[in-house]
Amino acid sequence: MNVRVRFFARFRELLGTDILAAPAEGTVLADQIREIARKNSEGYAAIFDDQGDFREFVIVMRNGKRIETTDAGTTTLVDGDEIAIFPPVAGG
Amino acid sequence: MLSERERERYKRQILLFGEDGQARLRDAHIFIAGAGGLGSPISIYLAVAGVGTITIVDMDTVDQTNLNRQILHTDRDIGKKKTVSALSRLREYNPDITINAIDTTISPENVRQLVGRADGIVDAMDNYPIRYLLNRVALDLGIPFFHGAIRGFYGQATTILPGETPCLECVFPKAPPREVFPVVGVTAGMIGTVQATEVVKYLTKSGRLLAGRLFTWDGLLATAEEIAIIQNPACRACGHGPDGKGSGERPV
Repeated sequence: MNVRVRFFARFRELLGTDILAAPAEGTVLADQIREIARKNSEGYAAIFDDQGDFREFVIVMRNGKRIETTDAGTTTLVDGDEIAIFPPVAGG
Repeated sequence: MLSERERERYKRQILLFGEDGQARLRDAHIFIAGAGGLGSPISIYLAVAGVGTITIVDMDTVDQTNLNRQILHTDRDIGKKKTVSALSRLREYNPDITINAIDTTISPENVRQLVGRADGIVDAMDNYPIRYLLNRVALDLGIPFFHGAIRGFYGQATTILPGETPCLECVFPKAPPREVFPVVGVTAGMIGTVQATEVVKYLTKSGRLLAGRLFTWDGLLATAEEIAIIQNPACRACGHGPDGKGSGERPV
């Protein structure tokens, strides 16, 4: 199956912009993102903590719907999914 | 009815949304939370557009490090309260409107009184706790909340319409860590102008708002994108979460 992963803002600088992945059936969302993020240690550390969990402020969206980062480890990807990984910005 | 002076002053935009639209701007009261990087372009553009009453709140003093982006304030304002320079600059831009510049820290205790009977709240804050507070006040009052935030070359904006769109906490339930954020003035200009555009559109009933759409700006790539956002039924603020407003099942 094919899924599309879009990183935004600083995550994009570190990991690239628009990534097409072909995960095996049954792959969970968090594992797929970890696999992509491993190519850049700074990018990985920006998104995941030392335990490999999503940092709590990271926004994960699947097909436009935000999913709780705590659920990303049990969310199975399906063909055509579009995942957005987004760091909210705070400045004004 | 507009005066002759108003017809002349706003001639070029009356061509866009008519005298009715201009009258709606004049009769509106917009609350701007912050007179910093975002608050500067937002307040300047709303003032020159002829928004009749602008309340702008900030508790800070102008510092030299503000001047790369906070274009309400200039070198000679260093050390002055931001409300003083904001009031004087906005009056220069448009002496025909009412400007309330209030020197205080927005808090749960004073926020309702500060917002008063405003027709909309514009987010020009630099932290999420106060954004969450303003988001909830907008939900309570049923008025729009024009969100914007920036960091570096990146920015985001969305327009929250209570009962119709996701609220700020639906999309950003956890605040990113506080930091001295890097930023270049043009990013504040870009996102602040998007927010001000949304206010003008909302008041004049023009175009299609950023409702249910998160606008993202990547200045390094010069790309603007949008992410569709939907309401979270379990949202703590507008859904069925612990202190939600119970509107989470309403269709978006």
